[in-house]
Amino acid sequence: MTHIINIDQLQVKFQKNVILSDISFSLKSGEILGLVGPSGCGKTTLLNTLAGFIEQDHGSIVLSDSLTINKENRIPTEKRNIGMIFQDYALFPHLTVNKNIGFGIKNISKPVKEAKINELLTLLKLDGLGQRFPHQLSGGQQQRVAIARALAPQPKILLLDEPFSNIDSRLRNDLMIEIRQLLKSLSMSAIFVTHNKDEVFTFADKIAVMYQGKILQFGSPITVSQFPNSWQVADFLQLGSWLPFKNENTVIKTAIGTLQSNQSNYIDKEFLLIKPKDIEVNLDTPTKQNPKNVVINHISHTEQGYHYIVKSIDTDSYLSFNRLSFYHGEFFTIDQPLSLTIKPHQLLMF
Amino acid sequence: MLGSGLNVNTSLFSHLWETVLPTYVLNTVYLGFIVSFFAAFFGVTAAALITQTNIKAKSILRWLLMLPLAMPAYLVAYLYTDFLDYAGPVQRFLRETFDWKTSEQYWFFDIRTLWGAGIIISLVLFPYVYMLARTAFEQQDQNLHRASRLLGLTTFQTFYNVCLPLARPAIAIAISLVLMETLADFATVQYFAVNTLTTAVYDTWLGYGDLSAANALASLLTLMVFFIVLFEQKARIKQRHQSNRPNRGSHVILLTPLQQLLANIFCWSLALLGFLLPLALLIVMAVEYATFAQLDALIDTGFNSIELAVYTATIATIIAIVLVLYKRLHQDTFKAVPLNVSGFGYAIPGTVLAMAMLATFGPIDNVINELATKVGVDEPGLILSGTLFAIVFAYVVRFSAIANGTLSSGVEQISQSIDLAPPSLGVGALKGVFTVHIPLLKPSIFIAWLLVFVEAMKELPAVLLLRPFNFDTLSTHIYQLISDERLEQGAIGAILIVAFGLIPIIWLNKTEDNE
Repeated sequence: MTHIINIDQLQVKFQKNVILSDISFSLKSGEILGLVGPSGCGKTTLLNTLAGFIEQDHGSIVLSDSLTINKENRIPTEKRNIGMIFQDYALFPHLTVNKNIGFGIKNISKPVKEAKINELLTLLKLDGLGQRFPHQLSGGQQQRVAIARALAPQPKILLLDEPFSNIDSRLRNDLMIEIRQLLKSLSMSAIFVTHNKDEVFTFADKIAVMYQGKILQFGSPITVSQFPNSWQVADFLQLGSWLPFKNENTVIKTAIGTLQSNQSNYIDKEFLLIKPKDIEVNLDTPTKQNPKNVVINHISHTEQGYHYIVKSIDTDSYLSFNRLSFYHGEFFTIDQPLSLTIKPHQLLMF
Repeated sequence: MLGSGLNVNTSLFSHLWETVLPTYVLNTVYLGFIVSFFAAFFGVTAAALITQTNIKAKSILRWLLMLPLAMPAYLVAYLYTDFLDYAGPVQRFLRETFDWKTSEQYWFFDIRTLWGAGIIISLVLFPYVYMLARTAFEQQDQNLHRASRLLGLTTFQTFYNVCLPLARPAIAIAISLVLMETLADFATVQYFAVNTLTTAVYDTWLGYGDLSAANALASLLTLMVFFIVLFEQKARIKQRHQSNRPNRGSHVILLTPLQQLLANIFCWSLALLGFLLPLALLIVMAVEYATFAQLDALIDTGFNSIELAVYTATIATIIAIVLVLYKRLHQDTFKAVPLNVSGFGYAIPGTVLAMAMLATFGPIDNVINELATKVGVDEPGLILSGTLFAIVFAYVVRFSAIANGTLSSGVEQISQSIDLAPPSLGVGALKGVFTVHIPLLKPSIFIAWLLVFVEAMKELPAVLLLRPFNFDTLSTHIYQLISDERLEQGAIGAILIVAFGLIPIIWLNKTEDNE
């Protein structure tokens, strides 16, 4: 299977500091990868290294199984055939839309070039705007021009730096769907950077969660969210709340009840990841098995009902906690004690 | 002045028009073209080499290339004439080396021509283009360069297709500044006997004694300045490509060793010819010829200069504070009008301003004297047009723009909510200004004062026309010595003028480093 990009053990240093280390992954033609992670984790550095703005110190980048870039064979940006869409679009303010789009089209006759520009204008629904200057366009139109300009030289892969952060949140979802469909129809591979996990789930086929210059986990968004491989991944993707636990063989004890596990070795594990959907509220009269064990700290109103943040009533023991979040359709009040239990599910401990 | 110009004595004016005026106008236009061309070539090339390439000694050249601005063009003109003419060291050396006896045996270029004047003026004015172009290149959004590279253009192609077009408005503004200074130049062209409109105004007034013809010529000059100002304003409107992600050295054109050598020769020659060589010649002169008698003359004229400069700086700064704060704290639609109007003076050549002062205050003086006679008091004489009053007035008009600009940028640093804080605490508007705004503006007030002071120390043409009898400033003293071909006797004064000229450049450099 041909890979559109294959990265092997990529390392980038700035002065003595290692900014990126041991980055390895590959993408197939037409795949879209979302790079996520907290700020300063190296997402944008990775994008800039792929584009050739930053030089790598170790490892290789292979484009289309043919062009190998490494420390010995540095390829300047203009020879990499990579397209990029910048957060602020970076449209040339002194050129019209047509000239912006045509900027990177070279070595073809004028009529062919014009036909190509017109084709892109139509593809991106920019008909009639070719003679305008960037400042005469809306934000959404500017982004379409940026995409058309990046697609014009027919790059192998498209890099997008926080492409949706300047878009009105109301339009963002529609635009993401539209651009995804466009990229899919062109079989264009893309890597995009975001700090918004929701964007990844809408836009990407693959997700790479980065932390301190490394990729912690790479895979499909659904796999990564079901089976995060580290607490940083689970924490960044906000998959659930953290509960302290104790185990006696296969019996797991928490402040809101005990669970049965199918293994008994939990050395080095301290916290149990609890997703909101695994929490159950006991509305019956409390019993000795199901006592009131939490008190409500905060309530927010959402479309899915009420979102509650609770803390354990018992604040002394090793198992006590300050923050557990879940959704419920019924309205409770602040400081109201509740009885919670955890549904049996596949346990994730870190 | 325009009024007086319209009442021109037609016989003299038509005589001028039939004889010398077309040449004067053409000379002025040619000079403008020569200076614009060379200043643009020197300035843009230097700015491009400093910002876009890996030229060696970049950190030194960066500020060295600004220094020629401190050199008055007429000084450089005199020094080079002295250096390059038949009796000068260069030709003497050539004659000795090749054993030539007379000037007929070899060809040597004559610097005292229109071209010579043009090149000398561009040598000291190109830093305007250099500074504005350099800032424009550095302020360009880094992502625009990146986008161009990603679309397949090399660093050099990117410079030509993206950086240069984006810097065009800034370059146009700089060239209009250079043109304003060129039209204002009087001493260089006078010394080189190149007759331009500026020298024509001077000659018509002081030579023929015809005030209205001089005013007509000055009006013609003003018209030219007006077109340059229009051009400048148009360029300013286009200048909106600046970014907060400045591009400093991330995409540089790598020079080959030969290119590196040529680039260095180019930049060092500019610094050498525009500043270092003239300064060295001045220092040699000062060391050889300095006497105590010269020092006396220097102290006298120096005090006159300082007196004028202190009055001017103080008045211009106070006016600027009032106008800038008026614009900031008032809500009416025309709040910016007084500030903007007071800024126009900078474009007007000193000679024209001086004519305007004479045209305005001369008649007023006459009225005052008539009134005095009627009342039976002694005639006070030309108390407005014949005293320091006219000079200071002309200076304030000419240099207000500098004080306004400095204080405007100072006021922009103060957050808008600071304006609202005093009234919200029950403090009156005027008290708020004195207790909040003016203390916050202190550094800007000082800088504005200093910059106007320095400009007033250097100004020449306006004083030449307006000075009372037997009154000399440092610059008129030096100019007089230059006219008499004996600058040797004022070399220390000339160095002093250059030193004053360095103050604002050092300040510019410092603020830039802070940014």
